[in-house]
Amino acid sequence: MNEARSRFPRSQAAVVGIGCTEFSRDSGVSVFTLATRAVKAAVADAGLRPSDIDGLATFGTNDSIAPNLLAPALGMKNLNFYVDQWYGGSVSLSMLGQAALAVSSGVADCVVCYRAINGRSESRLNGSATTVARQPWDMAVKSSAGIVAPAQEIALAARSHMERYGTTSEDLGRIAVLSRGNALNNERAMMRTPMTMDDYLESRWIVDPFRKFDCCLETDGAVAIVVVSADRAKDLPHRPVLIRGAAWGGGVNVVNNGHEDLSQSPATSMAPRLYEAAGLGPSDIDFAEFYDCFTYTVLSQLEGYGFAEPGGVPDMLADGAFDRASGSLPINTHGGLLSEGYLHGLNHVYEAVEQIRGEAGDRQVDAHDVALVTGQLGYVSGYSSAAVLVGA
Amino acid sequence: MGAPRIDPVPDRDSAHYWAALAQGRLELPHCRNCGHWTWPARPICSWCQGENLVWEPVEGTGEVHSWIVTHQPYGPAFVDKVPFTVVLVRLDEQRDILIPGPLESDVNVTQGLRVRAAPERVSDTVGLITWKTDAQDNG
Repeated sequence: MNEARSRFPRSQAAVVGIGCTEFSRDSGVSVFTLATRAVKAAVADAGLRPSDIDGLATFGTNDSIAPNLLAPALGMKNLNFYVDQWYGGSVSLSMLGQAALAVSSGVADCVVCYRAINGRSESRLNGSATTVARQPWDMAVKSSAGIVAPAQEIALAARSHMERYGTTSEDLGRIAVLSRGNALNNERAMMRTPMTMDDYLESRWIVDPFRKFDCCLETDGAVAIVVVSADRAKDLPHRPVLIRGAAWGGGVNVVNNGHEDLSQSPATSMAPRLYEAAGLGPSDIDFAEFYDCFTYTVLSQLEGYGFAEPGGVPDMLADGAFDRASGSLPINTHGGLLSEGYLHGLNHVYEAVEQIRGEAGDRQVDAHDVALVTGQLGYVSGYSSAAVLVGA
Repeated sequence: MGAPRIDPVPDRDSAHYWAALAQGRLELPHCRNCGHWTWPARPICSWCQGENLVWEPVEGTGEVHSWIVTHQPYGPAFVDKVPFTVVLVRLDEQRDILIPGPLESDVNVTQGLRVRAAPERVSDTVGLITWKTDAQDNG
């Protein structure tokens, strides 16, 4: 059933503007305010005005601000396109994919994808908000078993991998340490103090096998991304970042029958369709921003998107294959959700665009034309999403 | 002892599942057309898409595929319960059915550990599973 066919409109849409707020533990303002600030910054970065926007796309779990509320604040009286998608980081790149469909088909001219959240000061994503979240029947199966937080679900997958391939705490720790290292010279990052392997191993258990430093941050902030057609992008200030391919789908989470072995990366089912959409393969990717709600999801995606054989990531990590300065595939060049901030994955798009433009300053990677950016790979909601971005 | 648990709110698809557990039975929808079991309950069979599903008891036995030990108190209900162990059990009847639940006591859990579902009554309409080892069951 996993046919790799895709007729995604390859490179017909482009990211032309990016904006964000400060990433903090307490923004002191409303989610609405955060969204407006990020959107205005992104539109200005694109050399456009709010009146140029005719589409809005967001996602969340009743903790963002909806397009129908944001549109009138932006003076939009004729919204031509909207996405208001339930769920979290698993759908972060489906925003971009849907925006690309909209502008390449002519349904809309200028779509802004945004995510705003007071993820620390108001709507914590650590499970404590479960009672106000939508309760589909499969969530009742989990919560009645004592599983209320994504850390628990993904820790089950990590344990399965550890049992099958001998993956260790130190292997996961290398991902945490690498991410922290990349955040040190990132002015947006919330965590800019060095982390050693000992720091990692001494951090307290959250859900064994995950320690504190296996888990991403909780963040107040917002990110916005402006998407227009590739033709229109040529007339705007920055190097256009083409949406070369995107894929979103999935459909089977941890507690629906359909899995036999949680050690196998769910990304393997979507990667062929993404690469088909982009007309590229893993060897063409210069750098990758992997959805890292937990360290283990990075390892699982390195396997699933074809950069390592199952069980092969630890040796590559130890050899520095994913280091920003010298690795064959720099990953999470900003520090990721683990050390930059948790903007539900849209900050990965922001970073990839800065890198492709060559505007990442001290973080700039040498080869920066082709980026893989991913959403959570499906353990929690079943959904997943990813895109390949290239510089024009 | 035990895990913090949020009692489910039964709906039209799941009510039988929770009520059977309240009476001490683990039952799942069984397809009369193709013989597959469905987990969790859905209105149609996920193999043949037929509606010819009948609630039938399973043995309630399986092996641990994965497990976690939760230390973080996710809300007030967790404070007196952490740390606790939750296992994901591969049901003997069908390899792709993985059912989560607390593991009773602090047995040395490993992948492949044989366990048995022990339903516990919460109310007339809701029961919940705890997984026990055969040794616990006999003792």
